[in-house]
Formats: sequence, structure tokens, C-alpha cells
Amino acid sequence: MTQLPKGGGYLLGSTDPKNIFTPEDFNDEHRMIAETLSRFLEERIFPRMEEMDAKQEGLMREFLVEAGELGLLGADIPEEYGGSEIDEIFSTIIAEKLGATGAFAIGHGGHCGIGNLPIVYFGNEDQKSRYLPNIATAEKISAYALTEPGSGSDALSAKTKAVLSPDGKHYILNGDKTFISNAGIADMFIVYAKIDGEKFSAFIVDAHTDGLTTGAEEKKMGLKGSSTRSVFFDNVKVPVENLLYKPGKGHVVAFNILNIGRHKAAANSVGAAKYALDLSATYANERKQFKVPIAQFGMIKEKLAEMATRIYAAESTVYRTGGLLTEMINTLDPSGPDGYKVIAEGIEEYAVECSLEKVFATEMEAFVVDEGVQIHGGYGYIAEYPIERLYRDARIRRIFEGTNEINRIIIPTTLFRRAARGGFPLKDAMKELKVYLNGETVARENPGDVVQAIKDVFLFVMGVSYERYGDEILKQQEILGRLADLAIQAYTTESTWLRTQKTAAANGQNAKLKTNMATAFIYTTVEKTSLAAREIIATLVTGSELVNMQSDLNKLLNYTPIDIISLRQKIAGAISAAGKYVS
Amino acid sequence: MKILVCIKQVPDMESKFKVAAEGTWYDNQDLAWRMNEYDEYAVEQAVRLKEQVGDADLTVLSIGSDKVKETMKKALAMGCDRGAHIADDAAWNKEPFQVAGIIAEYARDKGFDVIFTGMQSQDRGSGQVGVLVAEMLELPSVSTIVDFGYEAGTIIAKRELEGGIKAKVKVQAPAVVTCQLGLNTPRYPTLPNIMKAKKKELLSIPVAELLKVNARMETANMFFPEKKGGGLVLEGEAGELADRLISILKDKTTVLK
Ligand SMILES: Cc1cc2nc3c(=O)[nH]c(=O)nc-3n(C[C@H](O)[C@H](O)[C@H](O)COP(=O)(O)OP(=O)(O)OC[C@H]3O[C@@H](n4cnc5c(N)ncnc54)[C@H](O)[C@@H]3O)c2cc1C
Repeated sequence: MTQLPKGGGYLLGSTDPKNIFTPEDFNDEHRMIAETLSRFLEERIFPRMEEMDAKQEGLMREFLVEAGELGLLGADIPEEYGGSEIDEIFSTIIAEKLGATGAFAIGHGGHCGIGNLPIVYFGNEDQKSRYLPNIATAEKISAYALTEPGSGSDALSAKTKAVLSPDGKHYILNGDKTFISNAGIADMFIVYAKIDGEKFSAFIVDAHTDGLTTGAEEKKMGLKGSSTRSVFFDNVKVPVENLLYKPGKGHVVAFNILNIGRHKAAANSVGAAKYALDLSATYANERKQFKVPIAQFGMIKEKLAEMATRIYAAESTVYRTGGLLTEMINTLDPSGPDGYKVIAEGIEEYAVECSLEKVFATEMEAFVVDEGVQIHGGYGYIAEYPIERLYRDARIRRIFEGTNEINRIIIPTTLFRRAARGGFPLKDAMKELKVYLNGETVARENPGDVVQAIKDVFLFVMGVSYERYGDEILKQQEILGRLADLAIQAYTTESTWLRTQKTAAANGQNAKLKTNMATAFIYTTVEKTSLAAREIIATLVTGSELVNMQSDLNKLLNYTPIDIISLRQKIAGAISAAGKYVS
Repeated sequence: MKILVCIKQVPDMESKFKVAAEGTWYDNQDLAWRMNEYDEYAVEQAVRLKEQVGDADLTVLSIGSDKVKETMKKALAMGCDRGAHIADDAAWNKEPFQVAGIIAEYARDKGFDVIFTGMQSQDRGSGQVGVLVAEMLELPSVSTIVDFGYEAGTIIAKRELEGGIKAKVKVQAPAVVTCQLGLNTPRYPTLPNIMKAKKKELLSIPVAELLKVNARMETANMFFPEKKGGGLVLEGEAGELADRLISILKDKTTVLK
């Protein structure tokens, strides 16, 4: 990759397939760690999933220690502090594989994802050397305490308070946190509190400090083997050395860590969905009704095909984003005096992409596990079948790491703000589109053209929404939500198509299947684009203005439908023959 | 101490195999590749031996195209010290005598104390290479071992015989052993070791420098056995099954009239 693309930049120009990262670009080391992970899950974790979900005492810690021995906790930690400090693709592969392990994935993510990254990115030398080596081995288990009973999505309204002690040596913390993963087994917490009730700040807090207690285990829908509790702070003394970054800069820590957290959550979803499809494809081959394997029924084929197609799209999107994050982190030079700011701004660059992939992948997973249960029929409702667990475990991913509503708001809001600051040339793009619409427009003849149509529609609708509302657009949530969906459709279809083209150009594995999946995905998605765009314009304008806008949309969306049904039959054929997800 | 372990890259055995156009080997398109299962036991045992004696240098050898380096890196990540890649794009077409000849030629003057190989490869399955290497180097060999011990220059290996009987064999190093399922559980390469492996020596040697023997056999052709009339699985109620069985026996055989 020559030059780092701008965040959100995919919407404007075109991207050369060579310049995106795809799973086909894995190097030998990436493939090896994937193999190690597969074996670890099959031999160690999956056989004991039931015990874990029955909350067998000590099991989570045991597994975390084992994961530490394999180096799976130190992927984001610099070598000098006991980790391996490798590219973000490794972390993505780890998150993907662990995604299928429900409770363990959350234990792992709470510990060495959100419970660790604030120190990796915003800790000073002393903090890093005191905590990171113990995180890499799970000698100390970490947790991340942001949410409070009264502040969830509105995280900055936290009430937990920190006051400097009279001798200036400690902050005294008071308040309650809720729904904290790993709380029951944690040795340390990353805690957000407001200094003097005002300056939102992040702290590293030793779990065994006087005055810190945890509540009862929550009884949850899924992830039953992971500890989720409230954490109470009653005059908890935290040494001043344990303040992370700067007083009043907790939001910088929290939001940037969330971006990476969203990327990992999306990767988790891909892994869980692949496992669900593997189980479902195998089951459909074995289960017979009316004397034939149910995999031979058209409606089941269509489910298998659509599950595989959406997984392929999410996988393409997640690894493209992983590639962007890797490149970006590689170019950062945090050695100067403002090193932390450099990192924060670097991660912030791809905030939109992280939100896009989180929403898409978690909703993809929801669809896949739901159809997975359906393929299993009544057996899918029975706890003995792992698909039942996957169905329950999936639900939380649309709620945490920022609810999907909050992430949808972030996407267009960030783009409108960048446009206002000149960082996203919406006006120029709009001008170009109008010139195009007033001239001779073309029919969209292939999947790549249709991706372009989706991108054009997004810019068009974003532009006309701004023309109608100005800055007030940021208050129109129904429009923002649809704009987010259009931006997601543009990013995911483009990522899928670019990956497919890259594979085809290299004469890579399963190029035909990939082309089929990408084509099916793009042509079904553009229908959703059309719907969302029409709903937006119909609320923006009326009468002849609406008629004209509708005619513009029709010009942008000028394509001929393709035979999706026969494409899906081919895709299902490949999945059933393999008895699992292939790409 | 110097140790050599010989490994082969083979297709995942769950792959769908097709016979290649020339008709003497399988088509290698769209296959996933991995380390031959028996060689994994060989690598694990070699690494354990190195860990036991402490002062040892462990070389992993593999013959094949550049692609086999991926599998060699796994052996390096498991604990081998260096790699000797015998570059040969036509490795698939070599018969066991040639393969053994190449390995023996490589090993001849290097003074290896123990040479580990798998007991056979999963794709060719001749089971000859390890034993031939030993003969060519005039070393003793113990085949299909399921247990391995080493003390002061003596190898004590267990072999599994028919019917579950085991035999204990003692042999003086230098020697060759070929490894069988049950010998050990190969370790997973850990992330730090995968990264360390990147820095280990992995030299390529053109096969022409080492191939000094001629083939003694050739594969005439490779084929799938002809499908016999497939079996028939009957499902249903016992009574109904009995009736269907009787009618099949009557219609299709002469057992019942
Ligand atoms: C199993 C589990 C593990 C968790 N682990 C952790 C953890 O380790 N650390 C941690 O800090 N937290 C954790 N959480 C908390 C989680 O992050 C929050 O539940 C989440 O952020 C949502 O907050 P809330 O529950 O208060 O919902 P609310 O914020 O009250 O949201 C309720 C609904 O309103 C919607 N909504 C809210 N604001 C808006 C808006 N402005 N516009 C439109 N819609 C809006 C939401 O999208 C949602 O649909 C965990 C939760 C669970 C269930």
C-alpha cells in the first residue's frame, strides 16, 4: 500500500483491489496462528464449553492462563512488556477464531482487549511495565469498567467521582459501575471517573483495594460462563500514578479503545457465524426428511447460500479494515512529546469504518445464527445442540461496544462533521453527481458498476439531506440511521467486490465461488439501498420535487436484475459439498 | 548433539482428490496443505530430545517447491533450530528410493546423532524412506516407534506390534527412527515462537546437488477404484424393514424364491 487512504475515503474515489488487505493475503505466520487457534478451540475450549457456561469455578482463569502460554493474550502488547507486538491482522485472526467461544471470547476480550489496550496505547512507561507483563500471562486478570446504572450509551454522563486526597497521593473513588465483564475474577480494572465530578478520566485500579466490592453474578441470556457483575467503589484509594493519560482526557482513551473494540467485536461475529454455518451445513447434510437430506430442499439451500454470502461479505469487510488499522498503526510515530495524541488521532481516522463493520458483522451474525437454528428445526431449540448457545451468545454483540443505534449515529455524524471541517468534500462530490445526472447517464452492467451505484446513491442522499436540513440534519435520527445503512452497504459491497477481483486476478482459491457470493451480495444489497434512499427522499421533499428526485435516483440505480436464485443454488452446492463455510 | 528431522508437506486428507491429467499423481489445484501427520510426531519427538539434552542443534529438512517452506516454518516454530529446504518443483514425481537418496546425500557428512522421520507419508504411503535413508548411511533403524527414550548414546524405543503387543528395542546412536501415531501429542506453535521462527535460518539447496541415485520404479497410472454397486441402507420400523429385506432378497438374489 502506497499511501494511507483517508477514513471514509472509500465513498469518494475508487480503490485499486491491490490496495486492500484480504484473507488471501495472510502470510505463513498468520496461517500458523490460525491453525494453532483452531486446535486450541477444538481440543481445549469446545469440549468444556458446557462446564464453562455452568460457571465452573476457576475454569475461565485456567483457560486464560493457557491462552497466555500460547501467546494469545499478548498480541497487542509490545515485546519489551512480554507480548509479541504484531500486526493488527494477528489480533483480528485471534478475535475471529475466539468469536465462536461465547463466554470465553468475552473473558478474553475484557481482559486483553478493552481491559488492556488503554494501558498499551495511553499508559506511561511505569504503568506499562507494572501491568502489561502480568496481562500477557493472565497472572493478573483485567476488566473494563465504563458503564454505570444511569449511564450506558451516554457514557460521559458517568457519576463515579474521583477526588484528590489532601496529601495529593491518591484519588479517592466513589460510585457504581454495572455489567462489568470479568468483574468476579478481575485483579485490576480500568475505571472511568470524573475528577471533582467534572473531568472525565481513566484510572487503573487494583481490584483488591479496600472499599472495592462486586455485586452478585448477573443471570444472563447468554455468555453464561463469563462473569458479569456490578462493581462498587466506596472511598477506594487509587495512587495518583495510576491515572491514565491526563486528567479530563478519559473520553479520548474510552472512545479510541472502543474503535478497536468494535473491530474486534466484528471479527468475533465472523468467527461465530462461520461456526454456526459449519454446524448447520453438516446438520443439513445428515438430517433426512421425506427420505432426502434437508440440504437438498430449495429453501434450505437458499438459507445456506445467504448465510455463506453474508459471512463472506463481513469477512471481506473486517479484514480490509484490519489492513487499514495495521497500515495506520505502522505509520504512527508516538515517540515525540505528543505521542499519545498521535495514536489517538490515528485510531480516530478509521472510526467510521470501525462502526460500519461492527454494525454489519453483528447483524450478519444475528441472521446467521437465527437461520442456523431454523435449519436445525426443533433440535436447534435444544441446549444439547451448540447452535442453541450460539443463538443466545450472539445477542449481546448488537448491544455492547456501542449499541448498533449509537454506531449508526456515529457514521453519518462523523462524515457530516468532517464535511463541515473540509475533511470530507461532500459539496464537490454532490456537484459532480449533479453534472452526471444532467448529462447522459449509464446503465450499471456488472457488480462493480452496481457498487458504484450504491456509493453514488449514498452521496446523493447525504447531499440532499444536508441541503434540506443543514446542521439540523444531526437531529434527524431516522435519516441518519438510513444514511448509516447506505454507507454500510457501500463499504461492504465494495470490500467484497475488491476482494473478489483481487482473488480472480491472482487466479486464487475458489475464485468462481467468490464471484458468485459477491455478485449475489451486491445485487441483493442494492435493493436495500433503493428502499432506504426512497424513504429518505420521500420525507425530505414532496410534489414535483419528489418526482424529480425519484427520477435522479432511478438514473443512478439503472441496472437489470440478475437470477439470484440460481446463483444461490450454486453457492449452496459448494457449501453442502464441503459441509462447512468455504471461501 | 546433532539431530535431523525430515518432513513432508501433504494435502489435507479431507480434500476432494482428482487424478491429474498425466494420470500418475493427484491434481494439486485448490488443495489445502499441511504437515504430514506422522512427521508432526517426528518433529515433536526431535524437539523433546533437544530439550532433554540441552546442547543440541536440530535441523528440519523438507523436499519440495517453495510452498513447503510454510510447513517448515511450522517445524521451526515448534522448536527446530534451522531449516534445510531441498528445492525441487518435481518432488511429487520422485519415488521413495530417490527421496531417501537425496536425504542421505544431505546427511552423509553432517554427523547427525539421531534422524527422525514419519513412518510414512499420508499421500504416497510407501513407508520406505526412513528405512532406506538408514541403509544408505549404513545406520541402524527402528521403524514405527510409539515411545522414545534416549540416554547416554542409547536409544530405547517401543514399537507396537499386531494385537497390541509392544516391543522394546535398544539401539546405539547414530540411528534412524520412523515415528508412528501414539508416540506423543505434538505441541501447538505459540505466537511468540511463530514470530521467532521467522528469524531462523531456512536455506534452499537445489535438488540437483543432492540427487545422485536413479529411480528404481515408476508409477504406471493412478486411478480411483471402480465403484462397485453401492451399498443400500434401509431405514424405518423393524417390521417394515424385514418386509423390504425379504422383497429385495427375492427380487435381486437367488437366496429366496
Ligand atoms: C453481557 C454484558 C457485558 C458487558 N460488559 C461490559 C464491560 O465489560 N464494561 C462496560 O463498561 N460495560 C459493559 N456492558 C455494558 C454495555 O456496554 C451497555 O449495556 C451498553 O453500552 C448499552 O448501555 P445501556 O445498557 O445503559 O443501554 P441504554 O444506553 O439505556 O440504551 C437503551 C436503548 O436506547 C438506545 N439509545 C440510547 N441512546 C440513544 C440515542 N442517543 N439515540 C438512539 N437510541 C439510543 C440504545 O441503542 C438501546 O437500544 C456489558 C453489558 C452486557 C449485557
